[in-house]
This record gives sequence, structure tokens and C-alpha cells, in this order.
Amino acid sequence: MLKKQILEEFQKTVGPENIDDGEVMTNAYAYNWCMELVNCMEEKEPIPFSPIPKAIILPSNVEEVQQIVKLCNKYDIQFKAQSTGLGPWNQPSSENCIILDLRRMNKIVKIDDKNLYAVVEPYVSGAQLQAETMKYDLTVHMPGAGPQVSPLASATSMNGPGFTSPHTGHSARNVLGVEWVLPDGEILRLGSTGLKNNPDWFSGDGPGPSLRGIMRGWAGAKSGIGVFTKVAFKLFPYPCSTKFKLKGISPNYEFDIPDFMKLYVMDCKNYNYLKKVFLAVEREEISFICSHLSGYGLGAIFSNSIESLMDKIPIASTHAPLVIVIAARTRREFEYKQKVMNKIMAEFKLENIIGTKYTPNSLFYAEALRSNLGLHGFIATGGFQSSKGQCDTATVCLNTTKMSIPLKKKYIKKGVIANDFGEGVWITSYESGHYFHVESPTLFDQTNEKSVNGMAENMNENYQFDLIKHLGAPFFVEGDRMHDKFGPHMMNYHKWLRKIKEAFDPNGIADSGFYISAK
Amino acid sequence: MDEEEYQKMIKRCLRCSICKWIPQVQIKSQKYATACPAIDLYNFHPYSGGGKIILALALEMGRIKPSEELRDIVYKCTECGNCAIACKFLNTLEPLEIIMRLREKLVEAGCGPMPKQKAYTEAVKNVNNPYSEPHENRMDWLPNDIKIDPNAKLLYYIGCTSSYRRKEMAIAAARIMNAAGVAFRILQDEEYCCGSPILRTGEIHTFQEFLNKNVDIIESKGIETVVFSCAGCYDTFKVDYPLYRDYNFKVCHTVEFFNELLEAGELKLTKEIPITATYHDPCHLGRNAERYEQWDGEEVKLIPLISINIPPKPKRTGKAGIYDPPRNILKKIPGLKFIEMERIREYAYCCGAGAGVKSAFPEMALNTAKIRIEEAEDTGADVIVSACPFCSTNLQDGISESGSKLKYYDISELLLMSLGLEPEKLKQALAEVA
Repeated sequence: MLKKQILEEFQKTVGPENIDDGEVMTNAYAYNWCMELVNCMEEKEPIPFSPIPKAIILPSNVEEVQQIVKLCNKYDIQFKAQSTGLGPWNQPSSENCIILDLRRMNKIVKIDDKNLYAVVEPYVSGAQLQAETMKYDLTVHMPGAGPQVSPLASATSMNGPGFTSPHTGHSARNVLGVEWVLPDGEILRLGSTGLKNNPDWFSGDGPGPSLRGIMRGWAGAKSGIGVFTKVAFKLFPYPCSTKFKLKGISPNYEFDIPDFMKLYVMDCKNYNYLKKVFLAVEREEISFICSHLSGYGLGAIFSNSIESLMDKIPIASTHAPLVIVIAARTRREFEYKQKVMNKIMAEFKLENIIGTKYTPNSLFYAEALRSNLGLHGFIATGGFQSSKGQCDTATVCLNTTKMSIPLKKKYIKKGVIANDFGEGVWITSYESGHYFHVESPTLFDQTNEKSVNGMAENMNENYQFDLIKHLGAPFFVEGDRMHDKFGPHMMNYHKWLRKIKEAFDPNGIADSGFYISAK
Repeated sequence: MDEEEYQKMIKRCLRCSICKWIPQVQIKSQKYATACPAIDLYNFHPYSGGGKIILALALEMGRIKPSEELRDIVYKCTECGNCAIACKFLNTLEPLEIIMRLREKLVEAGCGPMPKQKAYTEAVKNVNNPYSEPHENRMDWLPNDIKIDPNAKLLYYIGCTSSYRRKEMAIAAARIMNAAGVAFRILQDEEYCCGSPILRTGEIHTFQEFLNKNVDIIESKGIETVVFSCAGCYDTFKVDYPLYRDYNFKVCHTVEFFNELLEAGELKLTKEIPITATYHDPCHLGRNAERYEQWDGEEVKLIPLISINIPPKPKRTGKAGIYDPPRNILKKIPGLKFIEMERIREYAYCCGAGAGVKSAFPEMALNTAKIRIEEAEDTGADVIVSACPFCSTNLQDGISESGSKLKYYDISELLLMSLGLEPEKLKQALAEVA
């Protein structure tokens, strides 16, 4: 709870109905997915609750956010900002912290269909934005977490791969202008939106050095470096016709598959071959989706329950499958893309198992277009986290995958994580195969202490493994403990990150549980 | 949902917020993307379906105690079930059932329901209706010229709201049945509250008393079919009663019944109704009107940590809701142009009146209705139609409050108008005309 005087000052800022420091509200906000895992890794009780925030506050605009942050500085209270709020990164790391739930900041400020960007506030969901951009024949990058989450959070503060990444890139590369409330309460406008004359959102870099790297680096600061109140990011041509017609009742919808859309699933048999095919496809710049999934993952994206996964065994038993979706706006474009695919399949002596071994429900295509496939990772136990995640060349990503299998098998044998034969990974490419993203979704039971402990141990050992084998920094290197572990092996980047934190947050007011502290 | 299942489920919310939205693939605009009136109006996460699952867990873990703070959040929910539809697109949680169970627990702890809901529960106990109206006035709605057949095997169960507050619906339904020559009876002074308002606020013991009383009476009269014009009574009889007790009669809603009469040519629509109308799916008639299917399978451990249900456990996803009959009726009315809202069928937005909200939190009910009215207006329709007396009252309140030019009709009123009955008979059935 907040002291009465402090509570009143916050109330004056947002109105009494938009702040709550009661036992019920603050406890509810202490819960999040995978929090038991984070607690376990921090050697705390493996419960799905973080430290209880002092209060929850719902600002409605940048001025209110600024005022809240200034009050936090005045009273030495930390803040944690969240938008759609999925995952432990949204949680406070101490009890001297309030949560800024940015839910009331939910406007699409602008869709510039000529210059291909949109400006949004934190609580616009990916699906909402996409629904509006589709009216202009455009689409948006959405993270693998699903269309219900905030694209602003992904673009400014998180790692942001997604199933449509070959077409829509990585969120770090899509950021343009940004409105940012710094931890000391100053408002910083990045790029062209900070210009004195005719400010606009079309560029993330203005005259002088770029601050985009400072703002989010690779994996984002998870609110540890301030609050992002508006962001502009790139829009992309919708890959096919935007006519979107569903029939039936959830979840068994039937979808009118657009004329120029086709799914390929090819069994590449082994990782070396997979790499070659992956690169060959991506070099041609034809795919809307191009992902490698494990057999389990492949079955899961075509299933809406664990039971329906069972009849996908013929495709789930493929080795090193590659999933490709091509889509086009004209027949000619579609024919061209199909010809390219045919040529690649002929060259590598591969077959498309779609239409022969397996034909998915039409809903798959709707989910592919609306970026809903990532959520299928949850159909088995509910407990799910990626035990590693990297971004690098195809070679490094596939080496990571291969080398990690024995380690994963060790924990499968212990019975603490679910059996995916150690192969449970998702790999997607960006920017025509220039770089790739790999993560290792791992199923555990979040209600079973043994499983949670085992999963935590698995993650820690994976991190150690990445260090020993020089496999790069996993994207869950967060918080002082992890940065201090990885920094010395990586040109002491953590020292520079601390300097950034110190410069931008001299009073240590932005909660750094998932970023880095200045000390 | 039994206690074991409840305890299992409350530990598994992903906090993904899917429950706040209609199914993602159905989102057509930013404006009408949301599913839950409570989180839309009160913004703090615990007002959402997932948020209430977290509250249930926090309560079980002793992190929070039954309190007014907790009660107010848990009861600011219309139990519309839209969260459950969204969640079950991929997951297996039952947010609606968890909320209902959580309310039962608050009642058991002496912390629920809300004071106004307690008052109407007492009224149900004392005078058999939640409006505290004298039981002997229950049949006051009935015009003298309605033909009732005391020996009919078909029962028209009017319900408290149509009997006392939305008499036009009862009159219209009865006149339509007369027009089609359908022999029906009513229970007269033996009709009691179906128990829905008390069930949905967690008072399950009182609910069971009324359930038993109603089933005993209906079965004792050899009734074969019960027709309801109230979506709430219909849902309660159809879906909730069988969870406690089997019965030997069929149930149907007037939209199903009238649609069948139209299909069979036993109702002739002759009069043009030149309006553009949109249809609001009542939650009780739509997604929630799906019976629980008996599942006698078992949970089998497939591999460590992964279990499957053999055979698969049926998910209630709104698939058995009554969606097409009302639309078929509207499309058959001469001169009527039918147009859909964005949120329809299993993911229709709630009117805001359900589960005791109208009495305990009238402002919430009204503000929800205004959202729905705006959605109806955005279609370009000049009339919003529905098939539930709660929706009727609340949507009409929303129209008045928002100053909307939209008109509200119950579907039976439009049907009656289109039958071309004499104006005097119509007047009795049309509150607005009268």
C-alpha cells in the first residue's frame, strides 16, 4: 500500500478510479505466466507470484505517465510499466514498486498508408492494428506471442520474432519514431518525431547519433529504461487478398482460403540439408512464412488441442521439416513463386507433404495470416518456455539446435520436461536469410514443483552450455545475475549497459529486474 | 465443475489476455475487438476472465481473503461467457465456470452475493420472483382473449421478467401461438422463478430448491415440451438443470419454435415491416445455451507431463447456441432488411444485464448497453432486435440513456406485426405503440 499522501498525489494525476493499492488488486497483478520459473531460478519459492506491487495505476496519456514517473522519483518508488502484460518481464522485482498498466493508452494515432508506417499507443493489440491496416491492404509484424499482445511492447522493449518474420522482419528493425518517458520524467522523442520543425514519425534516426540501440538494443529493456508511450513502426503489404471470410463456430471455423496462397511442408531429413533448403528459399525472397519446427511443433500448429495433436503423428514424425507459406496478390506473382518453389524442390529432391500426406484445415491459413500460430505452443500442458533463444546465422542457429539435443534429452529422461526427442525448436529467418532466430520451446508442468525445478535447472544449464560452446547470448539474459554472467565473455558489454542505465536513470527508479541496475 | 477440476484449472492461467478479446481471427476493427464488458469498463486486469482466475488462485493460496474489495470485482461480471469462448479457441480452461464457482465460495464464506442480490434472493424465496411482486399478480399480463388449452402437452413458461416487466413479450408470444393454432397451456399460479438469478450469484442451495419445485410441477402435469420466450429461463432449464437433475420434457425457445412454424407454413407473414434491423444474440440463447455433454472417458498419461483425455473431452464452445432461427425469422419478414453487427453469434458482445449486474451495478449494465447500442448504430440499422427480456430492458435503457435514435423490438413483436393482426391486439403486445 501507498502512504496516504502519496496515494493522493497519484490520484490527482490519474483520478481516484484509476489507481488501486488494495490487497486484492495488487496480489492479482503479482501473478504472471512463468513467474514460478523465474522465482525458482532466483532460488525463491516456485510460486507464480512476483513481489507484490505497492499499487496499480492506469495513466491515459504521456503527460500522466510523465507526472507518475516524476512522483516516483520524488518519493523514491520504482515503477514497472506493462501494456498487454504477458510474461514475467512485466513483474516488479521488489515490493517498492508500482505497476503502470498502460491499458487506457489504446489509440491508433496514425496509419500512413503512403509511407507505410503506423503510430500506436501501448495497448493497441496486434490484431486490432492488423484489422485496421488490412483496410489499406497492409499488414504489421506481430511477435510469436500472438496477435493479442502489444506491438509497441515488442517493438520497443522485447525480443520480437514472429511467424511472418521473413515478410515483416524483426521488431527491433521495424522501429521508427518513438515517444519515450525517461526514468527521470523527461520526455524524449526519437528520430524525426523529435524535429523542431514539422516533426513526424517516419524515421527512427534524426540528425546526430541514433538512440534506437540505446533504447532497446537487441532484446529490449522491459521497462527498465523508461516508458514508451507511442511508437511508429513499419507496415508491409498484406501478402494476398484481404478478403477474410470465416464460417462456423469457434474454434472450428472454416476459412475461405485466398486464391493465391499455398502451404508447403518439406521433410529435409537432417539439419545440414535443412540449412541449405532454408537458405535457398530465403534467398529467393518469396516466402510469407518460412520456419523450421520440430515434429511436435509441426503437429501443434495444425492442432487446437492436445487430443487433436494425436492424429497428426504422420506429419509430426518428419525430421527437420520446413514450413513455408507463399502468398501473392496476382496470379502472375503466385505462379512465379510456385515455379521457384518447384525448382527448389526439384533441386533438393524434396516433396511437399501437404495435399499428399496431410491436408490441414482451412483455419490454418487464417491463423497464418493473422499471426495466431505461436499460441499453439500452449496446447499441451500450459507450461511452456523457451530454454534458449538466439539470433545469428543459419549455421550458428542450427549448430545450437543440434548441440542442445543431448542436453534436453537429459532433462526429458529425468521426467521434468516433456519428451520432444530433444528436437523442440522453432527457427525462422529474417531479411532474406541474412540472419535467423532460434528458440527452444520446452514443455513443463507449471503446477508440479519437480517439473518447475527441473525446467529451471535445464535453463541454467543451457545458458552455461551457450557460454562454453560460444553459441551467443540467449535472449533471456536479463537482470544483473545473467548480465554479470555473460558480460565478461562478451567484451564486457554489461559495463556499457550499466553506464546507459546510470545515465538515463540516475535515481534507479525504473525497475531493473529484467534489465540491469547501475551498480 | 467439481472441486478437483477447479483446483487444477485455477493454477493454469497463462495471463495471455486472450479472454479480453473476441477470437483473434474474427477481429474486424479496433473498435469492436473486445469481448468482456467488465474489463472494458473497469480496466484493471482482475476484472477480466483471466484476472478472476488469478483471484481464485490467490484466494485458495491464502494470499487474499474474502472481502468487499474481492466481492465487488467478482460480481462485476455479467457471466456472459465470452471469455470462455476466446480462451477455448486453443486452451482448455473454463473461465466462466471458475467465476461461477468463485461466487459460490464467496457465498459460502458469507461474503457474497451483493446486498441487492441478497434482497432479490429473499424475494424469490418469499414471493417466487426477484422483483418482489405479489405472486398472485404473476398472470396479470394475460389478455382475456388469449386461448389457453389446460390439457395441452405444450407449456409456455413465461418467466418472472416477462410476467412482471416485459409483458409485451409474453403477450406477443401467446398471440403468435394462437395465430398458428398451437394448443398451449401455462402454469398459472404454479409458475415460479426458474432460479437463474440466484444460481448466477452463487446461491446454489436456493437454486436447487426452485429447480426441484419447477421440475416436479411440470412433470406432474405430463408436459412434453416447454417453450420459453425468456433466454435466461431457457438456458437455466436447458443447460443448468440437467447438471443437478434429469427431467423428461423437451425445452425450446420461442425463436426455435416460431422458426419451425414458419418453415412449416403455419405462420404467414403478410405485412411489410420496412426497417433495417440488426440482431443481438443474447448470451443465454447463444453461446451459453450449449448443454454439457456427458463425458465418461479418462485422463491418460501419454508421456511424462502430458496427459490426454480418451475420448476427447467435449469443449463447450458455443457451437450449440441458437443463432440461425432468429436470423431466419428476421430474413422472412417482408420489407425487413437484415444487417449484422461485428460481434455476433458465439462471440457476441453482452448487453450488460446478466448475472445480477443490472440490480447490483446498474451503471455497469447501462454503460455496457451503450457500447452495444453504438455497435448496432454503426451497422446503419434503425432497429435492434433480440429475444430476451433482460436484453430488452437493458438495451432499451441504453437507447434512452445514450439518446440513440435506434428502436428496440423483441423478435416476437416484429413477428406479430408481420402477421398482420388487428391493431388493438397489436397494441397490447407492443409496449412502444401502446
